[in-house]
Amino acid sequence: MKVLVCLKQVPHSDARLDIRDDGAWIKDDGVKFEINSYDTYALEQALRVKDAGEAEVVVVSIGPDRVTQALRTALGMGADRAVHVNDPEAEGSDPLGVAKILAAVAAEESPDLILTGFMSEDGNFAAVPPMVARLQGIPSATAVVQCEISDSSVRVERELEGGAMEVVDLEMPCLIALQTGANQVRYASLKGIMQAKKKPVDAKTVADLGLAGQVGASAVKVVIEKIYRPDKGEGAEMLEGSTGEVVSQLVGKIKELGLL
Amino acid sequence: MIEWNEQHLMIRDAMRRFIDAEIVPQLEELEHGDTPPYAVLRKMIRTFGMDEMARTRFQHQIDKEKSGGASKASGEPTGGEASREASEAQRGDSVAMQLIPIIELCRYCPGMVTAMGVSMGLTSAAIMSKGSVEQKERWALDLLTMDKIGAWAITEPSSGSDAFGSMKSTARLQEDGSYLLNGSKTFITNGPYADTIVFICKLEEQGVDRKDWKIMNFVLDTGMPGLTQSKALRKMGLHSSPTGELFLQDVLATPDRLLGGVPRSRAESGTKDTFSMERAGVAAMALGIVDRCLELSVSYAKERVQFGKPIGEFQLIQDKLARMEVARMNLQNLVFRTIECAAQGRGLPIAEASAMKLYAARAAVEVAMEAVQVYGGNGYMSEYQVEQLARDAKVLQIYAGTDEIQISAIARDLLSR
Repeated sequence: MKVLVCLKQVPHSDARLDIRDDGAWIKDDGVKFEINSYDTYALEQALRVKDAGEAEVVVVSIGPDRVTQALRTALGMGADRAVHVNDPEAEGSDPLGVAKILAAVAAEESPDLILTGFMSEDGNFAAVPPMVARLQGIPSATAVVQCEISDSSVRVERELEGGAMEVVDLEMPCLIALQTGANQVRYASLKGIMQAKKKPVDAKTVADLGLAGQVGASAVKVVIEKIYRPDKGEGAEMLEGSTGEVVSQLVGKIKELGLL
Repeated sequence: MIEWNEQHLMIRDAMRRFIDAEIVPQLEELEHGDTPPYAVLRKMIRTFGMDEMARTRFQHQIDKEKSGGASKASGEPTGGEASREASEAQRGDSVAMQLIPIIELCRYCPGMVTAMGVSMGLTSAAIMSKGSVEQKERWALDLLTMDKIGAWAITEPSSGSDAFGSMKSTARLQEDGSYLLNGSKTFITNGPYADTIVFICKLEEQGVDRKDWKIMNFVLDTGMPGLTQSKALRKMGLHSSPTGELFLQDVLATPDRLLGGVPRSRAESGTKDTFSMERAGVAAMALGIVDRCLELSVSYAKERVQFGKPIGEFQLIQDKLARMEVARMNLQNLVFRTIECAAQGRGLPIAEASAMKLYAARAAVEVAMEAVQVYGGNGYMSEYQVEQLARDAKVLQIYAGTDEIQISAIARDLLSR
């Protein structure tokens, strides 16, 4: 079985983010990056398939040189090889552009299973996974919290609104987008990290994938006009003091409202 | 080596993730409760496959010894400039892999490094350097994988820096070739929980001046008749490292427990080799403490507002932060040098290891105390981590050879040139 895992490198959850001068995105100079946490669950799921039997796990990511670190981490955790779409032409792609690139890689790799995170922590679109599935003409399931993978099909449990769950069977090849917390993500072992540098990372350009002119900033259909931090609204009361003081004030407020 | 490579940073990040998830949430229990550190240390060792790597290295070493040292290290390149460089990089990475977990753990729990280092490092190294193949198989492997906990027992109530000169513990040879061991040891890391103890004592020799008695190393197992392991002693810091006393009253040790046989002279004890290794590890510990104190101090200097502005805008606070950064850079360079020397197969001369340890210990104490000062009243409270790190740092000036002993070693070397 071949499993393709799509990884995105996003700013580290502890990173301080400043908005770029043109207001269209954040400044990423000097920012520490990590693998999108949703995607780590997808990677873990793929590695469990590999642990359970014969499977090749291929990871793919799009982005500049810094993305190599995310791919090496995935290789250190146990993935077999990586595809790195490293091309300025791909920069500024909207979700459809990203989906086209990932679908083109999937077309080359012909995986039995594509695993992704449900969404990315920086973009929050949750649009790429179903688009990749649509472009590849394969079934997909999103917001998946559990999956049982057999030789030719996958049974998944996915979240619905209001706490309800849904069980869906998918025939392979298919795409599964995992919800956060779907499994316990492993750590890369020291041996795995040592071996990672010997594992192959194939660099691809947009042109290699036959997508010249179809992706990137020039081909977007969704334009980010601006990002901004909302002004502090009225009606919020900031509690001041030491932790103990703040806690007792907060408890007082809750009691005042009759909630305790 | 001028900076950490991509692989080192991956190890660091993986370690940080583990520490954030597994150690930070129970820091309170480990540092202020009675939770011994071994369960979480074992989890760390297994999670990162350090036990598997230790088993492989151990087996390789044993196979080599059994075949009379003839076999070459598997994967070790033979000849050529490129292969020499590859071999150096491999050796360097191997040392970096040992030092990075030390640095990262010391950002939170220097005590855990002490507990781990004494068991996996000192105790197993004593057996691996002096023991027979049978002794290594019997005791060292379980220590290297942390399946068992080890203690290295040298200090006594009346012998600290003068470890051998004032040593009172003795071994008396019996007619059947076994030994009767007596004495008491104190400040023994892992003493209360140790499964395997390397006990250092002097061989009673009739007609020989006591100070010239030969130094002997025995391996003991917990539960041997006559061996008592005390409860953990209360101490200033390093609360995540249990420290205790050992009492031996006529403990019968068969000759298979004697490491390295009977030395021909007192100077052959070999115990001193251990000191050099111990001293180099302290620079990595100090780096972890300093790195975390600096990180906390910078963050606090930005947040804490006094006189209408963040205290980081006051020059006296800036001076503290700048000095901390200088110490951090120096310590990092010392760690890089340790890795570089190991890569080239060069051990650190004892005087250099002493100089490194002296600087590292003093820097850690100075930085940690200054971090407390930056935090002011908060820094004196246990709620803030700098308080713990300041208490923990102090031991670096005392164990593995006090500052004063390091200074003597450096001066002795200078004056002998």
